[in-house]
Amino acid sequence: MTAHQQSRSRDNRVLLLKLGVLACVMFVFTWGLIPVYDALCRATGLGKLLQPDAISTSPATTLAAPIVLTFDATVQPGLPWQVRPLVSTLKARPGEFVRVDYEITNASNRRVIGQAIPRYLPAAAAEYVKKLDCFCFAQQAFEPRQTKRFPVVFVVDKSVPAGIDSITLAYTIFDVPGRS
Amino acid sequence: MAIAETTHAGHGDHHGKPQGLARWLYATNHKDIGSLYLWFAFSMFIFGGVLALCIRAELFRPGLQFWQPELFNQFTTLHGLIMVFGAIMPAFTGLANWLLPLMIGAPDMAFARMNNWSFWLLPPAALLLLISFAVPGGAAAAGWTMYAPLSTQMGMGMDLTIFAIHIMGVSSIMGSINIIVTILNLRAPGMGMMQMPMFAWATLITAYLIIAVMPVLAGVVTMVLTDRHFGTHFFNAAGGGDPVLYQHIFWFFGHPEVYIMALPAFGIVSHIIPTFSRKPLFGYTSMVYATSSIAILSFMVWAHHMFTTGMPATAQLFFMYATMLIAVPTGVKVFNWIGTMWQGSLSFETPMLFAVGFVCLFTVGGLSGVTLSIAAVDIQLQDTYYVVAHFHYVLVAGALFSLFAAIYYWFPKMTGRMYHEKLGKLHFWWSMIWFNVTFFPMHFLGLAGMPRRIPDYNLQFADFNAVASVGAFCFGLGQLIFLYNMISSIKHGQPAPQQPWESADTLEWQIPTPAPYHSFVEAPTLEVGENGAIKSMHGGKHH
Repeated sequence: MTAHQQSRSRDNRVLLLKLGVLACVMFVFTWGLIPVYDALCRATGLGKLLQPDAISTSPATTLAAPIVLTFDATVQPGLPWQVRPLVSTLKARPGEFVRVDYEITNASNRRVIGQAIPRYLPAAAAEYVKKLDCFCFAQQAFEPRQTKRFPVVFVVDKSVPAGIDSITLAYTIFDVPGRS
Repeated sequence: MAIAETTHAGHGDHHGKPQGLARWLYATNHKDIGSLYLWFAFSMFIFGGVLALCIRAELFRPGLQFWQPELFNQFTTLHGLIMVFGAIMPAFTGLANWLLPLMIGAPDMAFARMNNWSFWLLPPAALLLLISFAVPGGAAAAGWTMYAPLSTQMGMGMDLTIFAIHIMGVSSIMGSINIIVTILNLRAPGMGMMQMPMFAWATLITAYLIIAVMPVLAGVVTMVLTDRHFGTHFFNAAGGGDPVLYQHIFWFFGHPEVYIMALPAFGIVSHIIPTFSRKPLFGYTSMVYATSSIAILSFMVWAHHMFTTGMPATAQLFFMYATMLIAVPTGVKVFNWIGTMWQGSLSFETPMLFAVGFVCLFTVGGLSGVTLSIAAVDIQLQDTYYVVAHFHYVLVAGALFSLFAAIYYWFPKMTGRMYHEKLGKLHFWWSMIWFNVTFFPMHFLGLAGMPRRIPDYNLQFADFNAVASVGAFCFGLGQLIFLYNMISSIKHGQPAPQQPWESADTLEWQIPTPAPYHSFVEAPTLEVGENGAIKSMHGGKHH
């Protein structure tokens, strides 16, 4: 092997190593995206689904038309929950405090832990529904056969566009894996 | 691993071709490995094509005819995965293996044994996908994108798919490292970077893209795997995760992946059009920069796949404009290809037909892509057949047509024989017509609101679906013309001269036909113009 070929062989190995490191760096980068997105959502408030909202206290300048509020709840398939809102629909004006109770039953003979995730229809209404209290703010533990009632207290912000005349608040209850 | 042994002096001098199965199992010769890749890709193309025909058979009429919806979803998922990772990507890697050393005057790929590994990882991965149809719960059915939380809930077919993706990812990363090292370190004296053939440039940039994003795909499917089996909650909202995170990471891989399948096609076409126009490539330098810009921009547009996830309007605007920006370098390329043909002395042999067909139809696919990039429009068109039409225009008429063009173009150099020209032309016109019959009506279906990945549909979509299904079966049948042409021409084709195309001027046409088994064991000294055009060659030995 000539000196030239030896040096080329070494160059090849060095480049192989660099490119291999690049591939590993990109693999680590993928996992690094998780905290980055987490921080981004915190900073921009995009991930504020499960925290109490700040309520604007400015007095109503005009009396807005009432909005039809519909309440719904579903359970992730295969889980032993029964969930229902005690009222399925009511009318409220923007700026008016609304309280609705949800009844959740653990229909199984084991202890379970669940987490509710709220969803709004139309999706554009989400930013105007300000929750003060919600069972979705924490994971909820249930003893076997236990039934609990939870209040949800919220206010539809006065800045809600006139085009939104009905809002559906839908909860989906998920199992918290590894904790039940 | 013994690497770089092909650069040992005289290593290849003393033995000819190994014989029998061992030649392929222990293959280290770039031409053998290239052929293995190409045949593997073709068989996967047939397998994926049969899955596509299963889909089209079901969609021929409204209602459920042949398959249950669960199985139908497995077909759509595996069709996508197999065509992307089993057919198109290996086919381009195979072409790169065959052609790069010939084009740049290298004796072989830089790491011949690693090259063997890159290929032989693929069949086990394909096998995993194949047997996943037979496991309880069937194959993965979450779509080729494998969105969480669907993919975190399925049966063990999903696990097999995840492992298959891991293996194919390792394979393509090793293949890409080989390509980059070969191009950067093994060019013959006189072949500078800005004289390299466009195909070398395109595969070089593609290889960098693969190394940058395949680990991201491997990472995200690993997260799915740990969510499924090890109690993590990356994509589980109840555990504090977020399914949308999956989409962000997946598409960070997924959009560059689109260009991984398109850039080599650009490279191929940039050889064929100049040859059959009998003119040098118009705007070589701008082609290089356009290819690089497309690659860089591809990392900044991922969220245009996610306009309906509830992104803030500012983010939607950013991704919309960034996506539209890609049309600029792509437009430069299309302009340059047309500029190359302008006032050229054109002739339309099969490779040129496929290349011109590529330019026409890829542009159609590009324009429907610009339409989809408009956030306000995309919200209507998301997950409809309009999207299906769009990406089949860029992947079938784009990537696949360019592959056909390449095979016809380099067939004489690879085999020493000419393919059957009339059958080649028949293959082109047959494919061109039935491709459009299949996929053009899908634009209308999508605009009318027909969702993708659903086995049944509203009666109003019946006519266009029937047309598309007839087109698909005819298109599929036509590929047998290609298979017959290849096999019969390899055996009985007319012997090809060293220079079958009169104005092809890159290095691979300066050596005998068929290309000697050990070409350029001694590097030639070259004088090279733009796009790899050889002005003079001295030295260079083959065995």
